[in-house]
Amino acid sequence: MKRIVAVDGQLERFKPLRHIISFDDFDRGFNGWMDLTPNFVYDDYESFDSVVDLTSWAPSMLSSAPMRFAASHGSMAGTYSLKLTTAPTAAPHTEPPADGSMGVVVKRLSRFDDPDKIQIETWYSYTPEQDRVGLGEEDIRAFGFYFDIQDSEYRYMPGVRYVNSLGGELVKRWQYWKVADGVTPEQWSFGVDDAWCQPGIDNLWYGRRYEDGSADGYQWMPGGEQDLLYNESPDKINWLYMRLTVDVARREYVEFQSMDKVIDLRGIQPTLAPRYRSIDNLINLIFYVETDTDRSVHLFLDSVLYSTE
Amino acid sequence: MTPVSDRKQPDMLNTHTSVLARRVRIDADFATLPYEAGWASEALLFTQVEGAHPELTITTEVSPDGINWIARGEPQTLHEDGSIAESPLTVFGNWIRLVIRGATPERPARVLVHVSLKG
Repeated sequence: MKRIVAVDGQLERFKPLRHIISFDDFDRGFNGWMDLTPNFVYDDYESFDSVVDLTSWAPSMLSSAPMRFAASHGSMAGTYSLKLTTAPTAAPHTEPPADGSMGVVVKRLSRFDDPDKIQIETWYSYTPEQDRVGLGEEDIRAFGFYFDIQDSEYRYMPGVRYVNSLGGELVKRWQYWKVADGVTPEQWSFGVDDAWCQPGIDNLWYGRRYEDGSADGYQWMPGGEQDLLYNESPDKINWLYMRLTVDVARREYVEFQSMDKVIDLRGIQPTLAPRYRSIDNLINLIFYVETDTDRSVHLFLDSVLYSTE
Repeated sequence: MTPVSDRKQPDMLNTHTSVLARRVRIDADFATLPYEAGWASEALLFTQVEGAHPELTITTEVSPDGINWIARGEPQTLHEDGSIAESPLTVFGNWIRLVIRGATPERPARVLVHVSLKG
């Protein structure tokens, strides 16, 4: 049998590993990306006890990136991107996230062919709603990506987060997902006894946060200072590239690329938590965005490529 | 030369359901967050209420920018003994949202709003 491979011209702007498992262009729909919600499995379809309301995150949408005074931006290739957004509300950055202050999307996959390495890539952009005068950059707290992985021994979540602004002050540094030593489950979940989430699980809203942006669930990336391209107005967005590679055989980070910057993360291990019931071989892909104030902020994903080898 | 695969999409509509308000407890007039639906040609919004609630008035709105809004479509009334209402929208441009009026601190409501899109 003759094997014919038709290469999508769009792949020229990606650096995939040997096997492309999914390539999501949001001009063709949601591609299985959906809003992240907790498990509605208790009485009256309620979820588990949590200080953070995990049902409250703002709904994602297919966006043509229309602006208040400018025209629609469209996407990098075509018309639509996947837009994560937030409600116009935020708690101080030293507190747990307020209801609705984040947008979170997930794509649910599983282990295939037992790869050694997995990789996520995306072209993306971010901006706040132009609902007030000014530059707006300082109102975007953070955005990030993480893998939710479970193998035959551990569940773990390698990820990255760009801390853009805290309390209205620009920070512009990358963090990676790893829990500081000595954090207890009760501290992790803000005082809930017998919490569902163990340290190292769901760092995006659990774990204590501190004034300078450090947190139980986040560590500053070595060389992670980066003045990301925001442009000069909320209605101007530029498409940026991001890539994270993880070694799932050794359970450690490999490399992170953001635009023209590549950071070697070999030897750094995300926090390993005990296995959870019935999710062996799970590999989920998750993006999120956080607002810093009473203003909606947006993260646009033009396209996402997940590959393995 | 080997022909590349035909990129034409199957002759089938796209559809997507989003939850615009997930079991939110309201005690004042309430609007869902601005939502872009420009890829679809029809929208059907469902409002469900869990538990006791006052009579609620439900309207849909459209917007040029997701910031400034104008009413569009037929207002719906959800009576005290009702639990679900529907609000259809066509020719809505890009931005849509749903507004629920009638809840008060004395008579709150817990609402669940879906939008079902097709196009």
